[in-house]
Amino acid sequence: MKFTFDWLRQFVDVNITPGELADRLTMAGLEVDALEEIFGGLDGVKVAEILSVSPHPDADRLVVCQVAVGGEKVQIVCGAPNARAGLFSALALPGAVLPSGMTIKKSKIRGQVSHGMLCSEKDLGISDSHSGIMELTWLHESGADLAQALELKDTVIEVDLTPNRPDCASVMGIGRESAAFCGTSLNPPVTVHDIPRLTGENCEFSVTVEHGDCPRYAARLLKNVKIGPSPWWLKKRLLAVGQRPINNVVDVTNFVMLEYGQPLHAFDFKKLHGGVIVVRRARAGESLVTLDNVERTLDSDMLMICDAERPVAVAGVMGGANSEVDANTTEVLLESACFAPVSVRRTARRLNLATEASYRFERGVDPQLPPIAMERAVRLLCEVAGAEVVANGVDCAEGVKNNEPITLRVNRTNDLLGYDFSIDEITAMLSAIEIAVQPFSDDTLLVTPPSFRVDLEREIDLIEEVARLKGYNEFPQTMPLVPMSAAWQDPARKLRQDVSAAMTALGFYEAINYSFVNPRHLDMLGLAEDDARKKMVQLLNPLAEDQSVLRSMLLPGLLDNVRRNVNYQVADIRLFEIGKCFVPGTGLEQPEESTYLTAVLSGRRLPGAPLLHMGEGKCDIYDVKGVIETLLAGLGFSGIDFDLAREAVEPYCETDTFARVSVQGKSLGCFARIDKKVLTDFGIKQDVYFLNLHLDALLAVAKDTKQFTSLPKFPSVKWDIAVVVPEQVRVGEMVESILHSGISLIEQVELFDVFRGGAISKGMKSVAIKVTYRSAEQTLDDETVVLEHQKIIDILLTHFDGQLREV
Amino acid sequence: MEEELLRLQNEACRDLAALNDLKDLEPFRVQYLGRKSEFTGLMRKLGQVAAEERPRLGKLANDIKVDLEDQFASKKTELEEAVRIKTSGTSTVDLTLPGRTYSLGKLHPVTQIMEEICAIFEGMGFGVAEGPDVETDFYNFEALNIPKHHPARDMHDTFYINESLLLRTHTSPMQARIMENRQPPLRMIAPGKVYRCDSDITHTPMFHQVEGFLVDRKVSFADLRGVLGVFIARMFDERTAIRARPSFFPFTEPSAEIDIACVICRGKGCRVCKQTGWLEILGAGMIDPEVFKQVGYDPEEYSGFAFGLGVERIAMLKYGINDIRLYYENDLRFLSQF
Repeated sequence: MKFTFDWLRQFVDVNITPGELADRLTMAGLEVDALEEIFGGLDGVKVAEILSVSPHPDADRLVVCQVAVGGEKVQIVCGAPNARAGLFSALALPGAVLPSGMTIKKSKIRGQVSHGMLCSEKDLGISDSHSGIMELTWLHESGADLAQALELKDTVIEVDLTPNRPDCASVMGIGRESAAFCGTSLNPPVTVHDIPRLTGENCEFSVTVEHGDCPRYAARLLKNVKIGPSPWWLKKRLLAVGQRPINNVVDVTNFVMLEYGQPLHAFDFKKLHGGVIVVRRARAGESLVTLDNVERTLDSDMLMICDAERPVAVAGVMGGANSEVDANTTEVLLESACFAPVSVRRTARRLNLATEASYRFERGVDPQLPPIAMERAVRLLCEVAGAEVVANGVDCAEGVKNNEPITLRVNRTNDLLGYDFSIDEITAMLSAIEIAVQPFSDDTLLVTPPSFRVDLEREIDLIEEVARLKGYNEFPQTMPLVPMSAAWQDPARKLRQDVSAAMTALGFYEAINYSFVNPRHLDMLGLAEDDARKKMVQLLNPLAEDQSVLRSMLLPGLLDNVRRNVNYQVADIRLFEIGKCFVPGTGLEQPEESTYLTAVLSGRRLPGAPLLHMGEGKCDIYDVKGVIETLLAGLGFSGIDFDLAREAVEPYCETDTFARVSVQGKSLGCFARIDKKVLTDFGIKQDVYFLNLHLDALLAVAKDTKQFTSLPKFPSVKWDIAVVVPEQVRVGEMVESILHSGISLIEQVELFDVFRGGAISKGMKSVAIKVTYRSAEQTLDDETVVLEHQKIIDILLTHFDGQLREV
Repeated sequence: MEEELLRLQNEACRDLAALNDLKDLEPFRVQYLGRKSEFTGLMRKLGQVAAEERPRLGKLANDIKVDLEDQFASKKTELEEAVRIKTSGTSTVDLTLPGRTYSLGKLHPVTQIMEEICAIFEGMGFGVAEGPDVETDFYNFEALNIPKHHPARDMHDTFYINESLLLRTHTSPMQARIMENRQPPLRMIAPGKVYRCDSDITHTPMFHQVEGFLVDRKVSFADLRGVLGVFIARMFDERTAIRARPSFFPFTEPSAEIDIACVICRGKGCRVCKQTGWLEILGAGMIDPEVFKQVGYDPEEYSGFAFGLGVERIAMLKYGINDIRLYYENDLRFLSQF
């Protein structure tokens, strides 16, 4: 809602500056969004009279004008088609700076001196009109300062209205609030005392309201209307708040709406068939071309204004082209009505048509306002369009209900606000804003809100009003007295925090990507058509195609992040995300939301570590495997297993570097190197490793219980074994076989070398293993260890086709 | 015997005095103090001397031994010190070379702020609960006193899934979800992602909110001011000026916007605060009786307050971030700054 400071001052004696007014409005709950001084920068622009016009000797499209500015006479070169002798216009003299930033200088245009520039409204920043220089037909003070003569200087204030205050969608509403905090009164040009009685008798037209969604419908007929441009004062107001003047009749209806908050509509009376207005629901098959020249298909829920045969306006939303006021209009039927908010909103939504009128009706227009606004508009039309109003008119007000009194308890008010108001204090505050208050008992008041306060319906609404009038910052700050209790803790949140802490300790940065993604990403990953992850939750109204579905995997987002970082020359990447993936529910059920951890590694093994010590080693598959192992072990999970079965490899992963991860037999995720072609599709030219863990599933797995075991009393003995085995032997299985050999003294088995080449024959590899032996009962002697060690050697030689190497 | 002992002592003292290299220390020790030394041999012979002489000679031998050991230890210290002085400054260690650093990763700034917010309220006894991102129209709107065709729906640019499902536009639905299942007194916060179809330099279609509410008997608007005052003092600093001004949310009444003095210009007026000196940081209010009725609480018996704050905005203010879109690009040059 925009208004101007000058406009407001016509009706309220505002004794503060625009800036102070803005602050006070904001603190009264009418948040000022913007405060802008308008039509500034016009110093040096004067009213001037063109005395004579002669053709430019060297340019067909230019003329040379002799112009009088006050007592002076200057020559101006001009290209406007409307430059003519006798015209008063706006002249920018040398030194003037126009709103566009252009500085006017004395100059020669094709050899002719020009002492300034004759300006259009657009040049002056007043309107978009650029068809010619400004025509000041009503202003003949040559030499006068233009801004002063036109009373241009003003401040536009824009209020971000909350939906509960439609009464303030008007200069009068803002004025009422302002008058309250300025301690003055509002003086509207027309009040309830000025309105004539409209009985509908002896009218040339009739109004029939067939539906309850129109509680009030007032109409009057005006004749001898002369359509033309509006006078400057009217145009200026509309332009200031960003509205384009159209003609005097339309401008008056818009002006009164802005001033009073009552949307009005002017019909060309001669275009209304039968001279009849019927307010009814649209009928099947009816349509209407609205004023914006769009044909609207109507449905039977929409409330229409109709003549004897057809709809002529969408009630409360927009008029129809078939009854539009045009240049030839001489008789106007003016409508000032009230429509039910839900009806207007439903209709406006369905037509996808939001107008200034629908904005106000949706929120609620004062049912007592139509005849007042009507009278204001009638008077203005008589003034600016030479109209004559036909005596009497129609005011169907059967649907208007009077506001019922509301009981307000002082104790309740004080309990809820944490204050100590007296009954008198509350009475005084509410009365100051036209709310009728009567005492009912020692503790209660009977409060009747005025008709324009459609938001005051319940006791709590009045309590809020008391708080608002007192000023929110006048209330004390206290701490609630709530019984102590142990706050509930969510294990899923705790797990997420623990996982995040471990991942950051491992050098990963947390990423957050949008939950909505590009469905094409899953094709780029090569997922099969029947892959469950391809069934995604679709948005009905996405912002863009690449944000049209809810993600079923976190990986694509992270791959996008990798590409972006590499493109910005940050090629060493450790990123993780913990987020929800969505699986559609059946029918109207909510989707299943489950939380995953996905991490990506690319580039150097230790991003950010000094090159000097750590070299430029690139990360590989063992890094990502190590991250999973460290993470799960660090969180206290044991029983981690890797399933290397090649039949279940994800399509976007390399077969040789893919493993599924399970904990205590429960499959939880996987890790791999991403397939090169997939990376190419994502625009990434370097290797990327990733891991994925289903955190909700991990939550269901039991952590190890922490249990103390005695510290060993006797020393351990470490013996090494080196065996040469065929390349296809999996070293992990060798280690497992030692651990599961049943040899009681084995404490630890460590690999310390896997070696190919040199003295080792092709197709073979040397595996070096360090075994730690320890007994709980005694210090081990060589004789005991050698027996156990030989058993291990036997296992390796027989089960893995190994040959012993001398160490 | 006595002469032998004194002679050995003299010789030992002379040799020790002449000694000036650490590597000669060990041969000296072997020669004079070792198990096979002449001195040790003499000590063993003490048993053979006359009984009346034995205590005196024994004491003498022992004194000599202690004295020699002391002198040896001093000599050793003296020589080691000499070496230390001589070699210091000759090492190739260059402490201007970098240490072997291991980079720690960092949480996303939004997560950091969200955890900070949660920690402050958890410190005041609030529990933390999270709800679904895909919410029903009922919990997102109807249960919060925003019926269909209510203009307040214009305040929420909603992404819809179908006629009854949507991406939650705020974390407030958790109020209804929690109250429905539990009885007061209640103190909860609900952090999470929220969605609005809006995208420009100050809006992303997904962002984060923390919703909070407290319900009990006799909870007042002054209590709301008190709790939020503590929050702001902790989140920013004790001296941060706060103001509350009337606003409108269908699920609270009275409703308030809470502003803090601009952290950039300290209230003088700048671009960030649009010259007002104030920054809007959260919306709050007393829970509307209609919301209590929806969940079966008696609004005459219970009252409570609720608040909701935007995490991105607070992070922007605390860290001076000027473009909200940076949050979701996951540029490491950005993430590593916090």
